[in-house]
Amino acid sequence: MKPGRLLLILSALPFLAGGCTDRCEKTQIVRQIRPVTLSAAEVRSKVKIQAPADLEQPGKIYIKDQYLFINEIKKGIHIIDNSNPSNPRHVSFISIPGNGDMAVKDHILYADSYMDLVAIDISNPEQAHEAGRKQNAFTSGVFDGLGWSYDAGTGTISDQEMYFLEETFETNCEGVVPNPGYWWWGGIYAFYGTAYLSSSITGSSSSSYSGSTAQSAGAGTGGSMARFTLYDDYLYTVDQRKLQLFDVSSLTSPAFVKDIDLGWGVETIFPYRDKLFIGTSTGMHIFDNSTPSEPKHLSEFRHIRACDPVVVHEDVAYVTLRSGNVCGGSVNRLEVVDISNLANPQLVKAYEMQNPAGLSINYPTLFVCEGEYGLKGFDVSDKFAVDKNMLFHEKGMEAYDIISMDDNVMMIGKDGLYQYNASDPKNLRKLSHIPVRAPAVITEKKE
Amino acid sequence: MRTLILGLVLCCFSGAQLSAQGFLEGRPFTNHTEVGGLFGNVEYVTNPYGTPKTYGRQNKTNLTIQTFNGLMLTSRLAGGVTLGVDWFNDALINPIALGARYDLISRYNARLFGTLDAGYGFTWFYKNLNGNKLNGGLMLNPGIGWRLGKPGNAGFTIAITYKRQEAIMKMPVDRAILRQEEARQYNRLAVRVGIVF
Repeated sequence: MKPGRLLLILSALPFLAGGCTDRCEKTQIVRQIRPVTLSAAEVRSKVKIQAPADLEQPGKIYIKDQYLFINEIKKGIHIIDNSNPSNPRHVSFISIPGNGDMAVKDHILYADSYMDLVAIDISNPEQAHEAGRKQNAFTSGVFDGLGWSYDAGTGTISDQEMYFLEETFETNCEGVVPNPGYWWWGGIYAFYGTAYLSSSITGSSSSSYSGSTAQSAGAGTGGSMARFTLYDDYLYTVDQRKLQLFDVSSLTSPAFVKDIDLGWGVETIFPYRDKLFIGTSTGMHIFDNSTPSEPKHLSEFRHIRACDPVVVHEDVAYVTLRSGNVCGGSVNRLEVVDISNLANPQLVKAYEMQNPAGLSINYPTLFVCEGEYGLKGFDVSDKFAVDKNMLFHEKGMEAYDIISMDDNVMMIGKDGLYQYNASDPKNLRKLSHIPVRAPAVITEKKE
Repeated sequence: MRTLILGLVLCCFSGAQLSAQGFLEGRPFTNHTEVGGLFGNVEYVTNPYGTPKTYGRQNKTNLTIQTFNGLMLTSRLAGGVTLGVDWFNDALINPIALGARYDLISRYNARLFGTLDAGYGFTWFYKNLNGNKLNGGLMLNPGIGWRLGKPGNAGFTIAITYKRQEAIMKMPVDRAILRQEEARQYNRLAVRVGIVF
């Protein structure tokens, strides 16, 4: 065949094969949400000790003696031997379905498991076992921004789970995405809620303060994002609208005492001396806890709508307000509040931040987790010039919550647990990092 | 891939220059510059969540300009490099290709010729918006045309070709969207007029 004819034939082939119709396909893998129903009996049977496991989706942290407890959101708690902060060692993993918060008194670990409050004996962390349980302590809660509820009548937990869906659309080649609908946005919405509402209805906290917070003798220390805290013989938990008290004088038999309605949007609880500071999406409640069984509401410091963990030193409270989460709001701010008059807290000064989450104070150093912007440290000796006294800014990690203990700082984020020596805050020295193993992304294809 | 193709094109181009002392020496230079339209349509889903899904169709017309620079390898065949610019909707693509022009019938003032360009479309001059990132892709452009003018002189051309251009638009991701990208395959009827000498 002559070359000319060959070229002519070749020229005609594409017309026959493809025509003149553009073919564009958009492929997206998105988080989705679907309902899940669990039975209480099933959940209760799954609390057990397991071999050490990698971090996958770490939530809150808690410290008791040389042990570090890291919540694996909704799955359980990692126990880490932190005798040597430069070389933390995984000890075990306690499987606790529906867990988001924890607190430790003596050798008993209190953890939420959906509707139950579980007491786990950790006198030997490698052989931890369930020692008691307060059934039906809670009725609803939130993980990753997704709510769950419990029907005691049928013993049914109605939960939701995220999964990944791969979808392919034929598009008009202009990047236009068909509107996936409300449920798709729900995935995003849910994610951004993770930081603040990862725990179930209960939350816990102890102090993230390295100083003299007064709490229960033998209790550990939690981060500022916690919803559980211990004081005297009482465990205090906050759900989204109320403060609950449990008598833990009998360590393995927590008994419900009372609850106090706080209105919607309760997020964190922070004990300081004989006071309780409760962060809500609209303000900070201060309770007098000198009679531990009868917390008395003293005042509320109101702010614009945002998530707001709080820590306290002497007569100053430090509150971070954060946007971009289920608490709503559009501010990113650190507020310094004068609480010398507990009945009438007053704003000292507000400082613009990037995306602040958990915080901790080891006076005069205030540590602030800035989400994807890393970790910052400020000298807060001068309350009116905090922003001008930034000591350090660690970047390259996502910082969610932090605990400072003496010279050591433990920070948790989506990248894992980082530990630093902060004896010289201007020269923060990294001691170790427990990384997160990304969970296998299991996608489902839409037919 | 695109680096490889660009390298091949540049090698050929520079090789042609270097070889000008040898095989190509004395061979006449030819230029063929064209402007025209890219015509086609697209069918796409308008509501992927409906039962059944609903679809729509849009006609597409875009501007294309290209210039072929080469040497007459034989009395009928020219080989060289084609540079162009195609303004698709939401894409500005600059193809760089190896090209050939072959006179199928060369005895008359109105002559039929074949054209073939194959290369890679780059997106250097496309301004990405909203965190999107457009990546280019392979390009194939065969066709036929008519040249009006006396043999050996400059002439006018009209060409009808099929143009296939691939591209990928990558959209931003976050924790709720692990991946999103649009694989594009433009299949167009390209009608161009031009001048050749």
